[in-house]
Amino acid sequence: MSGSGDQSSLFPSDSGSGDSLQLPELWLQEPGPESDVVISSRMRLARNLDDFHFKSRFQEGECERLEVHLSQVLHELEPDFRYHRMHELSPTERKVMFERHLISREHAADELPRGVSFSHDGTTSIMVNEEDHLRLQVFASGLDLERLDEVINDLDHRIGSQVNYSFDPRFGYRTSCPTNTGTGLRVSVMLHLPTLSFRVDGRTGRGSEQDIVRMQNAAQQLGLTVRGIFGESSRADGEFYQISNQVTLGRTPAETVKGVQSLVEHVSSWERRNRDSHFNENRRRVEDHIWRAWAALTHARRMTSGEALSHLSALRFGVCLGILDEDEIDLAAIQSLMVAMRPGHLQYTADTELTADRRDELRADLIRGALQNN
Amino acid sequence: MLEKGLVALLGGPREPMFHTCDRCDNQASFHLTEIRGGEKSERHLCEECAKVLQVPQANKELQNLLKSFDPSEVSQQGQSKTAKVCPDCGMTYAEFRQNGRFGCAKDYEVFGKEVIALLDRIHGSSLYSGKTPDGKLVIKADVMDEASEFRAQLAEAIEKEDYEAAARIRDQINQIGGRAPDDAPASPTEGE
Repeated sequence: MSGSGDQSSLFPSDSGSGDSLQLPELWLQEPGPESDVVISSRMRLARNLDDFHFKSRFQEGECERLEVHLSQVLHELEPDFRYHRMHELSPTERKVMFERHLISREHAADELPRGVSFSHDGTTSIMVNEEDHLRLQVFASGLDLERLDEVINDLDHRIGSQVNYSFDPRFGYRTSCPTNTGTGLRVSVMLHLPTLSFRVDGRTGRGSEQDIVRMQNAAQQLGLTVRGIFGESSRADGEFYQISNQVTLGRTPAETVKGVQSLVEHVSSWERRNRDSHFNENRRRVEDHIWRAWAALTHARRMTSGEALSHLSALRFGVCLGILDEDEIDLAAIQSLMVAMRPGHLQYTADTELTADRRDELRADLIRGALQNN
Repeated sequence: MLEKGLVALLGGPREPMFHTCDRCDNQASFHLTEIRGGEKSERHLCEECAKVLQVPQANKELQNLLKSFDPSEVSQQGQSKTAKVCPDCGMTYAEFRQNGRFGCAKDYEVFGKEVIALLDRIHGSSLYSGKTPDGKLVIKADVMDEASEFRAQLAEAIEKEDYEAAARIRDQINQIGGRAPDDAPASPTEGE
């Protein structure tokens, strides 16, 4: 399964169903550098304008004025980008945008006048009136921080030449929340760590909670943090983790990028070593785990997103180990499914309000269809 | 009476001060120290007269001392640090502490000392390293200059309610500002 035409069938609504929203392409479909372990890279900058209050203290009409001003600035700067005012989109459309990382959960839910500008390929998005006046985000598949650093710096510089950024040589960029003060930069890398996070009481005896804790301790020493992406705590459902910086003051963006990059590289090679030894020692168990996931995904009639995520994680592991034939299933298809199976996307595709039960049915249908047809 | 007032101002052994209101004979609950051109004067007002004279405005001016080094500030004694209020957005330090979000960029100056301590706690540093909007690289030591040291002293003097020292330090900062116009951290009009 390699044709990109097959992938687009996952998003029948993309071609337009009369909705006001035109979805950008799903950039995650193109696996990037280190994609056996690294799913995606993201960089974000928080910026505010000097002539306006921060969001928590907008005066009457100030929020509207700022939104209009910034939407004009962004339109002139990036005429090819699409700009959407949040209140002109339905809750489902906002949810879809959130699931594609174009906007934050808060930006989707908020009531104030706000908007988002994004590129057709979905790799750049600029939120207006999120927690800060501007939130610039750039994305890449795999581990690609150096390139993202260039892209976001260029964007930042061009916007900064049109507006008066709130900046102080002592504190750097002044942000609404003190945790972003300074560079306003958040570098995050999403990783798939099936062996590092294997449960002791679960499928195998390899890996342990301790490995994750060791990784978290190492991160803390570097001013970084490791979080499970879908889980509440350190224990991530589906074995997906995010490494990101916490410190934005006292370190240059270059130092921050370097810190995240080096931890990610370290963890990746650790995960790869673990995968090899784990597979060699437990070949039958690992194969069983992966083929059971395949069986469920290709035959189940109902599936919660938690279960689907866990099985898709196993499939991803299987592809990387060479157990599953890439002609049967590839990383791009798995990435697509991980987005397409989320509640907002299911609802958007169905174009009607869905109960949780109905979503589970449609999710199973979607995944079964995608895997069996290819 | 002036002697007594000075002792209180300079943080010596604090005696309860009972004053009658300058405008009527009620007991004064607002004690103001005004410093203009190096001259200090005191005023005592009861709550009612303070309202009439819009003393909260005077309190705002005190915050301006930190923010802009305005030479015509009026200060009010007895304000704890949690009562700091931003003259621009109206955010109090207590509110900021509660919801963790600044109301405007000026809060960084208004809550100066507390913000520095907070940023130090969060990031292990309160000094910026990175690029300026026009692309120049700043490394944290660059801004730890004379003016910002004075500014820290100024915050401390206000904290101790030592307004004479505060006025002196303010003049020193203004002097530096005059000599070093490029010194953005001490520039009162930066960004305005």
